[in-house]
Amino acid sequence: MNERLLLGRSIDTGSWVHKLDARSKITGMLLYVVIILLSNSWMEIGLIAVFSIIVMATTRIPLKYFIKAAKPLRYLMLFIFIVQSLSVKEGDVLWSLGSFSLHEGGLRLGAFSVIRMLFLLTFTALLTFTTTPGKLNQGLEGVLAPFKKLGLSPDRITLMISIALRFIPTILDEAQIILKAQASRGADLKELPLKEKARMLVSLLVPVIASAFRRAQDLVYSMEARGFRMDAPRSRYHRLRWGAADTLFVAMFVVLGIAVALL
Amino acid sequence: MNQSYKDTEAGEEPAVITLAGVSFGYDPEHPILHDINVSIPQGQWVSIVGPNGCGKSTLVKLLNALLPKSAGEITVCGHTLQEETIGDIRQCIGMVFQNPDNQFIGQTVEEDILFGLEGLCLPYEEMKQRLDLYTVKLGIDHLLSKHPGELSGGQKQRVALASILAMKPGIVILDEASSMLDEGSRDELMGILRDMQAEGAYTILLITHDPDEILASDRVLALHGGSIAADVPPAQLFRNEDLLEKCHLREPYPWRLARELQNRGITVDVPASEKELIDTLWPYNFSK
Repeated sequence: MNERLLLGRSIDTGSWVHKLDARSKITGMLLYVVIILLSNSWMEIGLIAVFSIIVMATTRIPLKYFIKAAKPLRYLMLFIFIVQSLSVKEGDVLWSLGSFSLHEGGLRLGAFSVIRMLFLLTFTALLTFTTTPGKLNQGLEGVLAPFKKLGLSPDRITLMISIALRFIPTILDEAQIILKAQASRGADLKELPLKEKARMLVSLLVPVIASAFRRAQDLVYSMEARGFRMDAPRSRYHRLRWGAADTLFVAMFVVLGIAVALL
Repeated sequence: MNQSYKDTEAGEEPAVITLAGVSFGYDPEHPILHDINVSIPQGQWVSIVGPNGCGKSTLVKLLNALLPKSAGEITVCGHTLQEETIGDIRQCIGMVFQNPDNQFIGQTVEEDILFGLEGLCLPYEEMKQRLDLYTVKLGIDHLLSKHPGELSGGQKQRVALASILAMKPGIVILDEASSMLDEGSRDELMGILRDMQAEGAYTILLITHDPDEILASDRVLALHGGSIAADVPPAQLFRNEDLLEKCHLREPYPWRLARELQNRGITVDVPASEKELIDTLWPYNFSK
């Protein structure tokens, strides 16, 4: 439960990153994603790692929270590692079994991809850890504001994200309850063979989706009863303020990007 | 012929809610509510009772146009319900629903309370003042940064109530708001409602099956088969066995106990509360 609650949760330590405008943090994270995706050497990833660790340390948030942020995707990372390792046939053969063979180049690329993904997940978690959901939404609205001219509705997008973040833990809890209810009637997912497990998951989806629709209906009633109208003007309790520290924060990512490009 | 609430008991306060010939149904052949006529004066606490599926929740959702009426006229706080007045009417009515989880919009208590206030386009100072006032009043000022998953059912319902009270509605509707709460949380909610009633600033509509909650109200609207079967004071409802059976209700505990004692030859008046019953029984000297 606590692990799931981390989704979209901020951890207030009052660091300089916490005090930044959400727009600068979103911009910084977008630049970071581009930089890390474009990096393709150990030197570059090393530089990114040093940068990431320094910034993460200055937030004063314990490292375990960043690790927890990457934990849900550990199997995906393992999958990427295996696929990348086995698909590249460069360098010495380290191990082989039938048509499968593990080459030195494959192992290096597998490890590189996983480290890259690990930093991507842990560092971008910094955004939600240092920003309250409300400020994050406002920041996102601010970043997306220029796209209004293209017919995009930032209010709509941020509302969707906010509601999704709010309800994901609730719906996961509900799925757990349904699983336990099914297990109590003799259909324990853990003890079933894989094929039956897949069939069980389908039967789990129906009540979970039906319940999500019911919740959505109740939520709409609750929002409308509080006078909510889409695209209607709203005042803001929290105001975003862009300062020198925000410019410096974004500049740090620009410098990192230039450094990575020059390496 | 329906039993109706006496005009004299309805008080002289002007009506804040009036329903005239209101009907509702998804299928015109099978209306869920049929020809509802009722007038509720300012400051009254009205319990709406009836068996499941009789249209209680539907009735209150018609008041602020969460559901569209099929026929009749609804007037709330002087506004006749129509497309142009929905916004004004929704500002007059605050609504707390049954499931505290599904009405929590924000990701923190603070965000949830601010959701309605930001929609009213209030300036910062006004929002801050209302946020402070109602969170202290409902004892949730220490929970502002909490996520809904970290709150108990009672705390969530207090947040829901604070969210709507902060919008300063004249009418507060609670749709079985205590049905998912434990005894302690239910008592807390009842205490808050009693304080609100004492303030006199709110008209309260409470959908409930709880005899104690009904007894605390000024008036009861009993719905059956999509129409108003009775519009009576609570004491009158609990004296009418046919009506109780129709509404799937039981008498409050002190009433049941008093009746059992009467059946055994002990003369006790029907008490208004457990305390009154104890006071009545005390002279019998149970120490013997």
